[in-house]
Amino acid sequence: MKESREPRQKKNSSAEPAIPGVEFGHLEKLLDFMAAHGLEEFEYEHAGLRIRLKKASASPASGPRPGAAPQALAAQPEPPTAAVLVAPTAAPPEPAPAAAEDLHIIKSPIVGTFYSAASPGTPPFVKAGDIIQAGQVVCIVEAMKLMNEIESDISGEVVRPLVENGQPVEYGQGLFAIRATKKK
Amino acid sequence: MFRKILIANRGEIALRVICACKELDIATVAVYSEADRNALHVRFADEAVCIGPPRSSESYLNIPHVISAAEITDVDAIHPGYGFLSENANFAEVCKASRITFIGPAPDILRMMGEKDQARREMAAAGVPVVPGSQGIVADPEEAGAEAARIGYPLIIKASAGGGGRGMRVVRSRDELVPQWETARVEAQQAFGVPDVYLEKFIERPRHIEFQVLGDNHGNVMHLGERECSIQRRHQKLVEESPSMALTPERRAELGRTVVNALRKIGYSNAGTVEFLMDEDGSFYFIEMNARIQVEHPVTELVTGVDLIKSQIRIAAGEKLDAAIGRVEFRGHSIECRVNAEDPDTFVPSAGRITAFEMPGGPGVRVDTASHADAVIPPYYDSLIAKLVVHGRDRSEAIARMRRALEMFVVEGIKTSIPLHQRIFADSDFEAGRLDTHFLERLLPVHSK
Repeated sequence: MKESREPRQKKNSSAEPAIPGVEFGHLEKLLDFMAAHGLEEFEYEHAGLRIRLKKASASPASGPRPGAAPQALAAQPEPPTAAVLVAPTAAPPEPAPAAAEDLHIIKSPIVGTFYSAASPGTPPFVKAGDIIQAGQVVCIVEAMKLMNEIESDISGEVVRPLVENGQPVEYGQGLFAIRATKKK
Repeated sequence: MFRKILIANRGEIALRVICACKELDIATVAVYSEADRNALHVRFADEAVCIGPPRSSESYLNIPHVISAAEITDVDAIHPGYGFLSENANFAEVCKASRITFIGPAPDILRMMGEKDQARREMAAAGVPVVPGSQGIVADPEEAGAEAARIGYPLIIKASAGGGGRGMRVVRSRDELVPQWETARVEAQQAFGVPDVYLEKFIERPRHIEFQVLGDNHGNVMHLGERECSIQRRHQKLVEESPSMALTPERRAELGRTVVNALRKIGYSNAGTVEFLMDEDGSFYFIEMNARIQVEHPVTELVTGVDLIKSQIRIAAGEKLDAAIGRVEFRGHSIECRVNAEDPDTFVPSAGRITAFEMPGGPGVRVDTASHADAVIPPYYDSLIAKLVVHGRDRSEAIARMRRALEMFVVEGIKTSIPLHQRIFADSDFEAGRLDTHFLERLLPVHSK
C-alpha cells in the first residue's frame, strides 16, 4: 500500500538562515525591493550561487511550493532552480570557507529515498569525521522497494551529509561532502 | 480524479500535458535529464526530479528512475506522452504493479499493437482491411509463385526480420518474381541474419490517412475523424491536415464504423490512431496502430473542439467516453507544420542557441512549443522545436493562414524547416490536394531523399 506523503516543507531553523556567500541583510533589502516594485519573482546568479525569490502563490491548486524561500547549494556548480523537488532541510551549510575548499561530492546515481543506516535503529553507515575508503558503502537509496547500497567513489574524510534520513533524492543529487585524501 | 500526475516525457508534449493538468487543477511532476535542467516543462511543473544524464536510454527511457521519481513524489498517474515509453508494454506493467495509473491503453493492447504482424492479424480478424500479403514466410519458389498469383502485381518482397526500408524489393511482373525472391533472401541473410521474406501488395502512390480514436474503460469507442499525413520524408511526417480531401463523407463514415467496431471487439481504451494506406483506386489498407497520443493531435483538436489530452486523463480516471470528451463539433479545416531544427535544404540537424523566437499569432493560429529565445537546443533528442497549427473555415483559408503564419514565424540562431514548409505551401499540387507519400521526393532535388 502506498503511503501518503505530506509535501515537504522547508524548515527554517532560525529567523536568519545562514547561506554561504550571502548576507541576510542583503536578502532583506531584496525582499523589500520586490515588495516596493510589486515583483512576483527575482532570480540572481553569480559565481556558482543562484538565488531565486518567489512570492507564495495564492491559488488553491498549488500547495507549498519548494521555491517559496531562497535556496543555495554552495557545493554544487549549478544549483537547481526553485522547481526542484528536494531542498536541503538539514543543518545549514557551513559558511564560505568549506565551499571554497573544493570538497568532493558523492552524488546519487539513482532516484529514490535516502537512508543513512541499513535499518531503522541501527547506526548510520558513516558520520561526519569518519575516514572512508573508495568502494565503502556510505548509505542506502531505496528505489522501487529495492535497497541499493551506495558506495563512495573516493577515499577521504566525511565532512558532512548533504541530505537527511528519509529524504527523497534525485539523480545527481549531492549525498555527502568528502575531503579527499591527498595523494602522497 | 487524479491529484498529481508525472509526465514521463520532455519538450513540447510534456508542456502540453502540463497545460491540461493545470486546467484540470491536477498537480504536475516533471522529470528531466541533466541536459534539460532549464527546460520549460521543468519550470512550469509544480515539482521536478532529475532522472539521469542526457542520453535518453539513461534518463527518459530509464524505467526504474521514472518509476522511482513517481514514487517519491507520490503521484497517482503517469502520462507517457509520445515516443519514449508511451508504447512500452513493460513500462505499463510496472506502473500497474506500482499502483500508478498509466494514462494509455492496457499492457496487453500495447503488446498487441506493438507487434506489427500481430496487430495486422487481430485487425484483419476484427474486420479491418489489411494490405494483402502472404500468410507468413515464403519459403520456396513455388510458394512465392502461388502467393504472388493471389496478391497480384506489383508486389513487394520484405524481410521479416527487417525494417528501415532495407531488404525490400519491388516486383512488377511474374518473370521478375523468382530471381528477385532469391536475391531478397540473400540480402536479408546478410543484413539481418535471417533469410526469411514475405510478400505484400505494393501500393505505388499511397496516401497516408489515419483515424483518431478514443475508448473508455467501459467498452465504448468512438473516432474523431481522420488526418492526412502524406507529406513525409523518410517516413517522418512533416505536414498533417484534417479532413482529408480524398475522403467523401460516406467513405469516412464507413471506415469510421469499421475502425470503431474492430476496436470495440478488441477492447481498446484511451487514445490511439489507426493508420491506413489509400490506394489510387480508393481502397484502404490498415498498416499499423499507434496506441498513444500523437504528435499531430492538435489538428484533430482544432477541427473537433475536443481537448484530447484532457480526454485521455479523464478516461484514465474512469470517466465514460461522452463525459470525458464533451461536445464534438466537426468544423472547418486544420493543418499542422512540424518545425524542425534542421537545414531546410540538406536536413542536417541544427543544434545551438536560439537568439530570436517570435511566434505568429492572430486568428486561427496555434503554436505548441517548448522553445524560446535563449533556449539551447540539445543534440540528444529529436529536432522538433515547434508545431505550427492553423484552423480555417475551409482548406483554402487554412492554407492562406499557414502561409501568413510561416512568414511571421521568426526563429534566429538556428536553422529551421520553415523555408521548406513555405515551398510546400507554394506548390500547386499541394494546393490542389494532389498528395501521396512521394510528394516531397517530387518537390525536392535529389539530395533530399
